[in-house]
Amino acid sequence: MEKRLSADTAKTLGRALTREYSFVLSFILLVIIGACVNKNFFTWSNISNLFVQGSMIGLISMGMTMVIGAGLIDISVGSQVAIIGGFGILVLNKTGSIFVMLLFCIAFGLVLGCVNGLLVTKGGMPAMVATLATMSACRAVVNYYGAGGPFTVDKAIYDRFRQLAVGGLELGSFKIPYLMIIFIAAVILFDIVMKKTKLGKHIFAVGSNEKSARLSGINVDGVKTAAYMITGAMCGIASLIYASRMTAVAAASAAMGWEMDAIAGVAIGGTSMSGGRGKIMGTFLGVLMFKIISNILTAANVSSYLNGAISAAIIVLAVLMQNFQNKRR
Amino acid sequence: MRLEMNKIVMEFGPVRAVDHVDLTVEPGQILGLLGENGAGKSTLMNVLAGVYTPVSGKILVNGQETVMKGVRTANACGIRFIHQELNLCNDLRVYENMFLGDELSKSKVFLDRAAMTAKCAEVFRRMKVNIDPEAIVDTLSAAEKQMVEIGRALLFRSELIIMDEPSTALATAEIENLFEIMRQLKSEGVSFIYISHKMPELFEICDVYYILCDGKLVAHGNFADINEEQVTEMMIGHNLHASEFENHVSRATEEVRLSVKNLSSGILKDITFDLHQGEILAVTGLQGSGRDTLADVLFGVESFTGEMVVEGAVMPNRAGDRSVRRFMRHKVGMVPRMRPERGIHNDLSVQDNLSMGYLNARAKTPFISARAEAERFARQQKAMAIKVGSPRNPITSLSGGNQQKVILGKWLETDADILLLDNPTQGIDVGTKFEIYRLILRLAEAGKAVIVFSAEFPEIRNVADSCIVLYKGMCNARLSREDLTEKNIMYYSTGANLEGL
Repeated sequence: MEKRLSADTAKTLGRALTREYSFVLSFILLVIIGACVNKNFFTWSNISNLFVQGSMIGLISMGMTMVIGAGLIDISVGSQVAIIGGFGILVLNKTGSIFVMLLFCIAFGLVLGCVNGLLVTKGGMPAMVATLATMSACRAVVNYYGAGGPFTVDKAIYDRFRQLAVGGLELGSFKIPYLMIIFIAAVILFDIVMKKTKLGKHIFAVGSNEKSARLSGINVDGVKTAAYMITGAMCGIASLIYASRMTAVAAASAAMGWEMDAIAGVAIGGTSMSGGRGKIMGTFLGVLMFKIISNILTAANVSSYLNGAISAAIIVLAVLMQNFQNKRR
Repeated sequence: MRLEMNKIVMEFGPVRAVDHVDLTVEPGQILGLLGENGAGKSTLMNVLAGVYTPVSGKILVNGQETVMKGVRTANACGIRFIHQELNLCNDLRVYENMFLGDELSKSKVFLDRAAMTAKCAEVFRRMKVNIDPEAIVDTLSAAEKQMVEIGRALLFRSELIIMDEPSTALATAEIENLFEIMRQLKSEGVSFIYISHKMPELFEICDVYYILCDGKLVAHGNFADINEEQVTEMMIGHNLHASEFENHVSRATEEVRLSVKNLSSGILKDITFDLHQGEILAVTGLQGSGRDTLADVLFGVESFTGEMVVEGAVMPNRAGDRSVRRFMRHKVGMVPRMRPERGIHNDLSVQDNLSMGYLNARAKTPFISARAEAERFARQQKAMAIKVGSPRNPITSLSGGNQQKVILGKWLETDADILLLDNPTQGIDVGTKFEIYRLILRLAEAGKAVIVFSAEFPEIRNVADSCIVLYKGMCNARLSREDLTEKNIMYYSTGANLEGL
């Protein structure tokens, strides 16, 4: 009897691993490959570095999980980071306060997200078209103002500002980078929101069946706009981190192609590309996987020009796998 | 053409929708396929069309085993389908729709518009209907669209035409016309499978009957040998008797819960009625009579003019983002029609589907308590005997009847006092149907006010205290329980009482 019980548990666990949590399997597989290629894979500096590298895309992917979970898409995130970062540096130089810059970045992101949301809901535009428009517009505006040269952080606050990107909590011999802390905190916060709050349930309800959601009294337009605004806010925080790491934002090239990376992270994480199903933990591991893959490829001397092709391949593979699983179901 | 279906079995997950069904159609024969909704008629026809691949069983066309790979294979065999829900592209023109997928062309490249319109016009002439082949389909009435569908089948070499409730949208004269066309084709050797709920029509046009019940073939033979009563008995099934609903006791009190005055919206014109505590009101009417619109208006999905008072509060005329929630706060709940498209969230679990209403109408905080969720589910599961493996399973793992119970439970958890049940037994097996009827009666007994929107007479007869019959958006009659007969409902819903005017 007991044997049978444990066999049953193993079966359910196995099924959960192969279906709902397949991203955990892929993650373990990638870690093993990573460890084979890179001897220093399991060192603290390598691991914390993964988190630091993944933090910006990671934050954006959290919002992207909401947007995709609601059955939408946001391809304007890269341009949002560029425009918010550029103007954010201007604000920082003028006020000299990192806190004011943070407020500005978040507020700017909320506004851009709100624009996306309104275009999609009140304007009735397909999400792809609406965010394509904001993507193009944001990039053009930041290019216009950045024509004279990159937005650069003033020398006066340079050292203090850079601490955010390079600094960390010193715990004995360990140093936990601030970016790693921010990333993990965001993951926990988003996980709670998606699992334990009405907003989270409503996002998946809208992504799963909009008509039914409306007939359940859900404010569908409000939920969609909220998802875009949260993504915008995350872009704002990411752009602050970007400014801190690079100390300058070059209008034409900053955060180029990040939308692909963020969508790739969400896709490998097992979120349904048509909405309704997804997990923040999946996206979290997805972003890390994405970074591990790029590290492996860098170690293998693959040109960074091919990054776009790699994210494309990851998205295609992840979605093909999803479709295959859905069919089997 | 002679068509044989041998021991067809079709399963959807745990549900066996078609169970070892045999069916034979001879050339020039009109076969009436009967059964309640969910008996497996449409599934069987979809197997024939190749939309579903049967679990087992064979299809023989003229004695040759044929594997239906899709509608194209069926069409190539000379089998044509006229679907219940109209399969027309509304933005295209009539002739474009009729030739969709089989367009005529000049030198194989350019579309031959002239030839196509000419052929369409010819078919319409033969059918004695007056439809412009160049008209945009969107501008046609429901009946005209139905005629376009039928014309589409006549346009090509068809040896077997399958009609799934073609007469729902048609008026009496149009139905007569349709029958004339069918008789003529029959004399040319074309056979038909005719699916309908309307007994008089079946007896008039069909030669043989096949009756499905719960996916099984329960009887077949010649229409000449049986009468309507016998058919009904066989359709409903041996062990279930509608007699338990015969001693209907109305629980209606004097207290008005919902009051509607001169309500108009879209096709709806000037609707006025009161709904009392404990009352069960049925609303019926043909497709396009405004039945669907009325259900939507009463839940804040559609805007309206006129006055609506729910429990003393005047409801806003404009439907917007928040209007549904406003109706919910005033304790209105709606089990929507077309459950797969409008009722359930496929990706969410059973429990999450059940909680969806409560979270909106009553939850005070933005956070969700896992324990309260589980309690809510357990309560409704017990009250309605919902059969489910685990509340965490996806809702799609349940049968239609159990899904519907979950949705009903969703509204009971919001503490709704007025329940709008829009086609509540759509796609539900007969046994569960009766369970739902009993549930409706129990709800009325508990003081809920219920409106059942339905096109099925037995359903109305089983539960309703009275019935509003809509015709072209007007309230054509309000029948009390004594006057509730199938004949009366047909009479008023086809507007026969107004024809003399």
